[in-house]
Amino acid sequence: MEGSSTQAQFQAPEPGPSRGLFTDYPSEPGAYDELLDEHGAPRAAFRRAIALLGARSSDELARAQALAELSLLNQGVTFSVYSDNRGAEKIFPFCLVPRMVAWNDWSRLKSGLEQRVRAIGLFLDDVYGPQKILAQVPLLRDLVLGAKLYLPKLRGVRPPGGVRLHIAGIDLIRDHEGTFRVLEDNLRTPSGVSYVIENRLITKRIFPEAFEEARVHRVDHYPTRLAETLRSVSPEDPDRATCVVLTPGPYNSAYFEHSFLARTMGIELVQAADLFVDDDQVFVRTTRGPRRVHVIYRRVDDAFLDPEVFRPDSLLGVPGLMRAYAAGNVAVANAPGNGVADDKAVYAFVPEIIRYYLGEEPMVEQVPTFLCGRDDDRAYVVDNLHQLVVKAVDEAGGYGMLMGPSAKQAEIDDFRRRILADPRRYIAQHRVELSTCPTWDADKRVIAPRRVDLRPYILSSPEGPWVLPGGLSRVALREGSYVVNSSQGGGSKDTWVQKEPA
Amino acid sequence: MISRVADHCFWFGRYLERAESCARVLQVTSSLALDTELTQEQCWLPVIIVAGEEARFLERHGEKASADGEAVQRYLTWDEGMASLRHAVCAARENARSIREVVSLEAWEAVNELYLWITGKAGREAYEAHRYGFYLHVRRAVQLSLGLLRSTMLHDTPLDFIWLGVMLERTGQTARVLDVHHHVLAPVASRHQVVDTALWLALLRACSGFEPFMKRNPGRVTGAAVASFLLLEPSFPRSIRFCVHAAHDCLSAIRPPGASSLPGGESVARLGELDEWVRQRGVADAQAGSIHAVLTHIVDETAFIGNLVSRELFGVSAVPA
Repeated sequence: MEGSSTQAQFQAPEPGPSRGLFTDYPSEPGAYDELLDEHGAPRAAFRRAIALLGARSSDELARAQALAELSLLNQGVTFSVYSDNRGAEKIFPFCLVPRMVAWNDWSRLKSGLEQRVRAIGLFLDDVYGPQKILAQVPLLRDLVLGAKLYLPKLRGVRPPGGVRLHIAGIDLIRDHEGTFRVLEDNLRTPSGVSYVIENRLITKRIFPEAFEEARVHRVDHYPTRLAETLRSVSPEDPDRATCVVLTPGPYNSAYFEHSFLARTMGIELVQAADLFVDDDQVFVRTTRGPRRVHVIYRRVDDAFLDPEVFRPDSLLGVPGLMRAYAAGNVAVANAPGNGVADDKAVYAFVPEIIRYYLGEEPMVEQVPTFLCGRDDDRAYVVDNLHQLVVKAVDEAGGYGMLMGPSAKQAEIDDFRRRILADPRRYIAQHRVELSTCPTWDADKRVIAPRRVDLRPYILSSPEGPWVLPGGLSRVALREGSYVVNSSQGGGSKDTWVQKEPA
Repeated sequence: MISRVADHCFWFGRYLERAESCARVLQVTSSLALDTELTQEQCWLPVIIVAGEEARFLERHGEKASADGEAVQRYLTWDEGMASLRHAVCAARENARSIREVVSLEAWEAVNELYLWITGKAGREAYEAHRYGFYLHVRRAVQLSLGLLRSTMLHDTPLDFIWLGVMLERTGQTARVLDVHHHVLAPVASRHQVVDTALWLALLRACSGFEPFMKRNPGRVTGAAVASFLLLEPSFPRSIRFCVHAAHDCLSAIRPPGASSLPGGESVARLGELDEWVRQRGVADAQAGSIHAVLTHIVDETAFIGNLVSRELFGVSAVPA
């Protein structure tokens, strides 16, 4: 009964000249918009779903947005602003207007992401094994062997199940023509997937009719797939494997996600002090005595895994963990040492890496990148800083960056000095226009274009990669901004990946 | 289960129960203070003593403050120290947050909403505008959380630890409320029949025991009958006998008395002894002359057992030798 009245209430309007909330939508010059074409008409793949969204009133949207935020706060879907016990908790800003990806775009992306993850996995095996590619590409060898995150001690260690890259998060942007490009690979502890699932719960509640119309892939099976992936690399019988999520603790900014994943996988969330190593085996301290641990999904950085290996001065970590790992008695996801492959300079080599190991052409584009360690590139970069984006290879989160087109002369001069002093630390790219997506502006109570990126998640077991049909769309909430990082005013959106037509 | 997680479960239960108990005592006392024959100090000083805060409170707010109901309530509701209602709610929530993967979503949300309410504007406003409603809100939110824990979580070790915390805390609360009221009020009350009855009724209400008591004692409300009820009634869920027994049940489920290979043997044995000891108490032990000694033993034993559980089950004992 209730179902049918809901249906009636949200009767789809016939597409016509009125676009409701989208009527005065001001497109961002030069940017591709995810939902509306250059004439302001809904993109064909989502015509009816967008019409249904547009039929809502701004009062309704304001109310729904406030309710959504309250619900996130009450559920504790928050991140800590400061990493100490006084830390205020905030909700990750959320925009309820979904971002949509058409099925044919997704199908290409999916194959391209699988390809990329397979190639990078082979690259990591090579780097921590025979190092064939390094012998052939001297600049890459210098970059890899000189990288802070390269762990020479692990050379020759084969991870249980042969998998190093269990969970990858690959950041994509869409250029002015609508072409998806990889901006960055996150191969260590990519975060954000809990928001993908939480955001979906909310949009399903708020826009049931548009959701149904858009034929969206589900995302709530991710934790099950992740649990299977973890069990699949257990050094002993997967059915009897004890898997745990290792968190730095409740004051970590991503603690919500750590507990979310443990809870939805039905496995235990541990801190380093709960674990200990005896006879190269890992145990967890329980109220019934020690219990053997086979797989650790760690959400702590390499440097804090094992004080015996990484930081003798540190009280954090599990002494002996790396011995147990090297002995093949525990699987660690992701494998330690992966950071060498998501280095921003190594990124420039990924198309070559794909060709080298797979003999295939890359299916997803990436952003052309100048390596300041290359003489020609450096000369070009220092002469053209005002039109380039410069990044330090070992910083993330939007820090250590120069946005040439909007930078002051003093900043540009400062970066030129830094680049010349330590060229290998820097790469540069032309600024890529990020696509926009209609976004609720709570102050002005209108829908306005804001720039977005997309982080899909790829799980890899010994059987190969699997791409979650969805992802985290991060949005720069401030007008005109390109920075989507949550530490700098970014928010998130639900991502609706369309199913293939039946 | 993981020892650290068990520790958080235990304290989550204790702080939840403490928050409800604190709100209930303040609510009942505010009501009593309106129409009692007692002085304000006779009403409010016991509340401060039950909370274990006499020295700190008087030092901070002066000797006369114990006659000031507003000062006592403000202190026991908002103080930054360990004894306030606000602190109990924050501590319960912080423990729950540390074990988010263990507490059910429903129960977590109820606790988190209470936390956001009491630390935010809404809680302050309710406190200023409608005191009775403020306490009621806290009590209901805790009762909802406790109910959700039992109806949405696996009845398994984590819930046993939470409930062990609830029951040990409740044992201590009932024992202290009974002891303090007995001491402070008995000499005053016995002089006047009407005052007497009102006070014992207030004591029952402070333990949510008024109606259950009347069902067992449909006659005159005397000090001895009330004390005997709160100490010995086997079916009243806040009597000391009930709580100690329930705590022992929880601990026995966690660590069966015969399982000598598991840690926790001393704790379960000691709690079993206390359970048996309380079961053997009779009406004579609830008399004015003997009750203080009985209650003191119970409070000391529950504190001792709490420490023992920490050492045996939460501590470092799980590391192989």
